[in-house]
Amino acid sequence: MFKNYIKVAFRTLNKNRVFAFINILGLALGLTITILVFLFINDQTSYDKHWGGYERIHRIGLKAHALGQQIDAPISPSPAAQTLRDEFTEVEAVTRIRTRGQEIMMRYEENKVYIKKEVSADSAFFKVFDYDFVHGSPTLALKDDNNIVLTEETASKLFGTENPMGKVVNYDNRRDYIVTGVVKKQRGHSHFQFDMFVASNQVNPQWVSNNFNTYIKLREGVDRDEFYERMSASFMKNVEPQIEEFTKTPISEFYQGGNSYAYHLETLASIHLHSHKDWEIEQNGDIMYIYVFMGIAILVILIAGINFMNLSTARSSKRAKEVGVRKVSGASKTMLIGQFLTESIIQSFIALFLALILVELFIPGFNNIMNTEITLFNASFNKTIIFAFIVTLCYGLFAGSYPAFFLSSFQPVSVLKGDFTKTKGGAILRKVLVIFQFTASGILIIGMIIIFNQISFLHNKDIGFNGDQVIVVPLQTDDMADNFRTYKEVFLKNSNVLGVSRSSFLPGDNPNQNMFELEGSKEQMALWNMEVDYDFFETLEINLLEGRLFNIEQDIDSIPSFILNETAVKSYNIENPVGKRLGAYIDDTGISYGNIVGVIEDFHTEGFNQEIRPMVFRIDNYTWFASIKISADDAQTTISYIEDEWNRLEPTHPFRYTFLDQKFGALLKQQENFGTMFLFLTILAIIISAMGLYGLSSFTAEQRTKEIGIRKVLGSSVGGIMNMLTKDFLKLVLIANIISWPIIYLLAKNWLNNFSYQIEMPILPYIFATLLSMIIALITVSSQAYIAANSDPVNALKYE
Amino acid sequence: MIQLTDLTKVYRTDEIESTALNKISFNIEKGEFVSIMGPSGCGKSTLLNVLGLLDKPESGSYQFLGEEVGHFNEKQRSNVRKANIGFVFQNFNLIDELTVFENIELPLIYNKVSKSERKQRVNEIIEKMGISHRSSHFPQQLSGGQQQRVAVARALITRPPLVLADEPTGNLDSSHGNEVMELLCELHEEGTTIVMVTHSSHDASYSGRIINLLDGQVISEKKSTLTQKAV
Repeated sequence: MFKNYIKVAFRTLNKNRVFAFINILGLALGLTITILVFLFINDQTSYDKHWGGYERIHRIGLKAHALGQQIDAPISPSPAAQTLRDEFTEVEAVTRIRTRGQEIMMRYEENKVYIKKEVSADSAFFKVFDYDFVHGSPTLALKDDNNIVLTEETASKLFGTENPMGKVVNYDNRRDYIVTGVVKKQRGHSHFQFDMFVASNQVNPQWVSNNFNTYIKLREGVDRDEFYERMSASFMKNVEPQIEEFTKTPISEFYQGGNSYAYHLETLASIHLHSHKDWEIEQNGDIMYIYVFMGIAILVILIAGINFMNLSTARSSKRAKEVGVRKVSGASKTMLIGQFLTESIIQSFIALFLALILVELFIPGFNNIMNTEITLFNASFNKTIIFAFIVTLCYGLFAGSYPAFFLSSFQPVSVLKGDFTKTKGGAILRKVLVIFQFTASGILIIGMIIIFNQISFLHNKDIGFNGDQVIVVPLQTDDMADNFRTYKEVFLKNSNVLGVSRSSFLPGDNPNQNMFELEGSKEQMALWNMEVDYDFFETLEINLLEGRLFNIEQDIDSIPSFILNETAVKSYNIENPVGKRLGAYIDDTGISYGNIVGVIEDFHTEGFNQEIRPMVFRIDNYTWFASIKISADDAQTTISYIEDEWNRLEPTHPFRYTFLDQKFGALLKQQENFGTMFLFLTILAIIISAMGLYGLSSFTAEQRTKEIGIRKVLGSSVGGIMNMLTKDFLKLVLIANIISWPIIYLLAKNWLNNFSYQIEMPILPYIFATLLSMIIALITVSSQAYIAANSDPVNALKYE
Repeated sequence: MIQLTDLTKVYRTDEIESTALNKISFNIEKGEFVSIMGPSGCGKSTLLNVLGLLDKPESGSYQFLGEEVGHFNEKQRSNVRKANIGFVFQNFNLIDELTVFENIELPLIYNKVSKSERKQRVNEIIEKMGISHRSSHFPQQLSGGQQQRVAVARALITRPPLVLADEPTGNLDSSHGNEVMELLCELHEEGTTIVMVTHSSHDASYSGRIINLLDGQVISEKKSTLTQKAV
């Protein structure tokens, strides 16, 4: 019997190719998106799960509101790890690391290689993170402070095929290290990616200086909450006296003054998708993307499913006779339900086959857009296939169930007489389903326009500086830093070099925060500070609002001068700031005062999800990022000139550079990628919806053939008939769009709240999306209506 | 074989109630060939549907093979149907997606007959019907007469004691119509009970008894003038 079902299913598909095409292609696209999203989710949720005992690994973070500073960061003090090691038996291993956001030049004999991601780690690092060792021992590799462990890739760059163990490598022309280990690339994704591990076991007793990331691996069976309580109490016992010492107030007053200071634990596997704090090691992913893409996948698969239901029931009159004959021949309702479900499941599996091909084709593009490295044939291929099979089977059952029950309930006595009347209920359901489809499409279209509006708004937003044609070159040696002001003149000899300066960091990097106070005021100010050299504001074309910029005649390193940004002045209500004296806390040695000489216009240093912070600038000769403004004319020759001169002045380190606007633009990349992917998915959803509408309208036209014939005989024009056939669908699309408005309004509002700078909710996308859906519907339906309206009425009247 | 007593069937829509069969009573013996005649709307087809257990009577008694079946539910009716009744329709009602062989085989599949037996029985019957050269063709590739032969073959494949034919020649020209009627006569000679609804007195003349209906009631019952093949 089953064979008969399958045979009929294939013949039915063959006979109704358009219907089959719409169903199978629609579902194939839906499944493609679903599988891609599944792979994406699988990829994103796999972060840090390859480490042995990852469920027991936690990162310490600090959340504090102290002395005007707001801190929420994965940072902890130097002695935390040692304290945990000494006092807590429930800790299996604990490690402390510190990362550097700068490339390091490594040298082995004459081979110089820049290594991107370096980490200083204590000797327990490999006890917490079980890298696979090619050479060396995890327990001994970082034991002494002159030890270094390399990844295989780094080792191969530095040593080629030579065995690096025991060899001496030079670190940035500063010191030598002995290679004590080589590890394989980590087995999976992690919230960090390191190329080399430098031993650093010295402990600084400062508890209020939080400059490290500390990871704890608890023993099995340890109650995390209980441990946290004990850890927190132990830490605070050490921290609070130092806070008292630093603030010179009793700790009770510190808390009463509205301050807070608390450590917390983050589960390792949750970091990638859920942690968006200051000073993350790398830019993490975002759980929002997972939710949005999951939502889209569900919408698209529902849209495709609705196509199937609508088309199957719309063309039920075609199959009514078959149902009648089968019933008369002895088929029970269950047998017929089985037959129709078999058909829908077969179609679903054909679609799955196509979808797997499409997934393979789309993956490179997807990876490119989303900056991922997903593959279909990966270690979790079995999981993916089982998932795809389950989704396909569920789809087949879900989409096939309504037509199966609907068709199998036909009374043979009616349908065999050709007395098949379209049920009112069926027509209403089809309308509801079309409304649902176009509501979903409406949400996606409006959402897409809002996302692009926001991204374009951010792109065009005045960032407060001009990064065009500014190249950023990191300084590598003390000599270069010491003599930069002299060397700068060498670069400026080239008339195409328009400005040269440097700073402690540049837009696109994470800033640092320090405490300041105005002379005579008790209020402490948490300001984000940037050390700059002369001509910095001029090179980046940052506008002066008040006072003056730094200059070599008036500002010297030993007597600090300060420049504030607008936000600093506003945040702390500083009236007439120019001329006031500002004090900077320098470690625990006290306050050093200097004059505020100017106020500059705000400029962005971080992404747009971060509001501009109150900033202070001061002159410092030891800043390590040179920014060089060059003319757009013959830029390559100018860069070659700079390269030649730079290599002459700093021969130890090969010259390298980036463009400042690209560096800053990278901050927008994640949002842009999201927008592009959303656009792609929306287009697919619209295509699937339109295909369904095309199929449905062609069947509607077919069902009304007789009516069309009669109307034509009675004198109706082609236009009149087209109007009759299209207006019903257009009404549905209009209703669907109106329903989508409040839904997308709320969703978009929620998304926009992620940005500190956001567009006003525009009205235009709502109108545009409605018009677009209606135009798509009109084109789709009217082509069918035109064919029906132009058909020969004689043929139409012979119908039935 | 069939005993109807005061059988009534009423159709109801929102506002209208129409009585399709009004207290009909008659018997059909095993091996009889009965024609039901009457003008359009007199209730012939409704009667055939009730006899074929495709439709339920409103009231009255319907005994089939000595069992009261009028109140049977869909499943029971389906079981009686597939074991005992073959149907032949005016518009053939073949499934377009199945070949001649597969159309005829269908009732055997639903009766869970083994594959080898199905093959043997279908081949036998298509041989008998003279359509064996058409067995792998689809219905659209056949003439009307050939399609009706397939429909008859399908009706007979389960060897039902009762064949119900609803205007079996209605869509055929006279020569093809005669072929079908001769086929029914042969079946009748072999002992199958046949009940046929027809407009055509020529076709009715093949049967042994003619029941005339008007407005849902039996108005006359007579023996046919010709009980053998028509001229």
